[in-house]
Amino acid sequence: MTQAFVRATALASALGPDLDAAVERLSGAPLAPARNTAAGGAWPYFAIPVAGGGWMKRAEAIARAVAESLRREAALAPSEWAGLPCMIGSSSNSVGAWDRGGWAALVPPLEFCRMLAKGFGVGGPAMMVNTACTSGLSALDIAVSLVAAGRFREVLVLGVELSNRLTVAGFAGLELLSATAARPCDRGRDGLVLGEALAAVLVSATPGPWRIAALASGLDAASLTGPAPSGEVIADTMRAALAKARWTGAAVDLIKLQAGGGRLGDLAEARAIRELFAAPPRALSLKGALGHTLGASGPAELALLLASLARGRVPATWGFATPDDELGLTPSGGDGKEVSRVLFNLSGFGGNVMSLALEKTA
Amino acid sequence: MYLLAPTVLRIAAEELPAQVRARFGSELRRSGAFAQLYMLGAQAYLDAAKGDGPLAVLWSSRLGALHAVRAALDESLQHGEPAMPFTFIGMQPHLAGVLLAQRAHPVTRSAHLHLADDGWSLLLSVAQGWLAECERVLVGWVEESDSVGVAHCSDWCLLRKKPPAGAIHLEPELHEDAAVAATAEDWIARIAAWRTGSRAPLLLRGGDEAWRFTREE
Repeated sequence: MTQAFVRATALASALGPDLDAAVERLSGAPLAPARNTAAGGAWPYFAIPVAGGGWMKRAEAIARAVAESLRREAALAPSEWAGLPCMIGSSSNSVGAWDRGGWAALVPPLEFCRMLAKGFGVGGPAMMVNTACTSGLSALDIAVSLVAAGRFREVLVLGVELSNRLTVAGFAGLELLSATAARPCDRGRDGLVLGEALAAVLVSATPGPWRIAALASGLDAASLTGPAPSGEVIADTMRAALAKARWTGAAVDLIKLQAGGGRLGDLAEARAIRELFAAPPRALSLKGALGHTLGASGPAELALLLASLARGRVPATWGFATPDDELGLTPSGGDGKEVSRVLFNLSGFGGNVMSLALEKTA
Repeated sequence: MYLLAPTVLRIAAEELPAQVRARFGSELRRSGAFAQLYMLGAQAYLDAAKGDGPLAVLWSSRLGALHAVRAALDESLQHGEPAMPFTFIGMQPHLAGVLLAQRAHPVTRSAHLHLADDGWSLLLSVAQGWLAECERVLVGWVEESDSVGVAHCSDWCLLRKKPPAGAIHLEPELHEDAAVAATAEDWIARIAAWRTGSRAPLLLRGGDEAWRFTREE
């Protein structure tokens, strides 16, 4: 089986439409999410600071900016770029187009998928994956499978979640939103804050700075909206990732937490980590900086984390101030030059649980 | 890689609730028509195929749960209110995997994909990769009817590494020119039809990739 690497990443998020600028910003004072946006209503919401005409025009503009940035970093020959297959993870597709455009603006998922691929200037096979919050990481999983099987040398993976009223209304209906702020792992956390992102990851058979050592999946049948409080499936999934990567627990330098902000989900993840690690490794969450970007969160958090590590830094967990004894997790940022093995957790609705093991190659 | 009994299910839209009640004893609470259609086809298939071991589910559609999305928009946002929780959840196809897992099937991963018409062949490549980590991959095509008089579709087949009795062997076909173009909507139905007739290998093409299907003696 061919190995897969992360060759290049790009991101537009609440931290800005450019990944380098986002990393810079992340080393500064925490950003407070805006309120009273069209999508968020009264709820805090991490919006990408890009204005645009209609919803679709704005989406196209964001996609073009991310594509340009990724293209520069990937440095593929034009013909290679043009033939790239494109796997897109999203939980809401283009439903935001309805907000102002009504039924006429609502396009089928595949049409949105083609629009994004066109915005990136790639013409290989394109597909859209929906596994709720893990959609983007599921797209990465499919990309890794296709590279490993030798079907493609490179696969473009996108995580796309753009502002829409329906998602906010749905999470509000489920009473999962914080009315105040995103506070991952903090004792005072009271729910999640949604955000938008468009992230790109180029998965490649050509060695790059990070090797995808393993990607494990689990399915927690406890409920439709969250993991079992025991954290058993999360622990099993992390264990499977470690086994597949042939790592011991002690080899993990850093865990990127799911830390969605819900009390039960966070507790399940914390229990799983405590079950697996005698001494939990250093941990962080990026949801205080990006918000919960749902289907985009895998590629978005991956892009931001790897770009930060490339600068020798583990980002601080914005919004975290006071540890929660029940969780027993104390995220910490700072120097990251020694980080070479990362376990990257993600879970979501529908019981989907994923754990990605990443290893620095140089 | 081996494929087991491809199954084609066509259900008139008005018959779906009765068929779901007949199979599951009641309507599947908290799931929309799209998930019910998935469950009806997948469960019927697994009943027939038996077997155990870790199961992955890879299924696709053109429109997905578009009707549920429309309903959620209609019911909630038109009135500026929070969406009803299960109206919101029902518009996501992700719950299908967990519904199957809750019926004692050992599902370890599940992904729903929107595919181009000729993109079905990629499902087989992905399944091949997933089979390195699980015993079985259930592959399906589910489409809610979009117009009156057109039946819902829920077509399924099971892929395995090892050859069970009566399985179909499949492998990439290098001479794609000889293959017949199939679509995401009909590739399983084509295999099902071929299986009951000709003994000659079946060559199907999706995009620039072709697959050869051969009946095991």
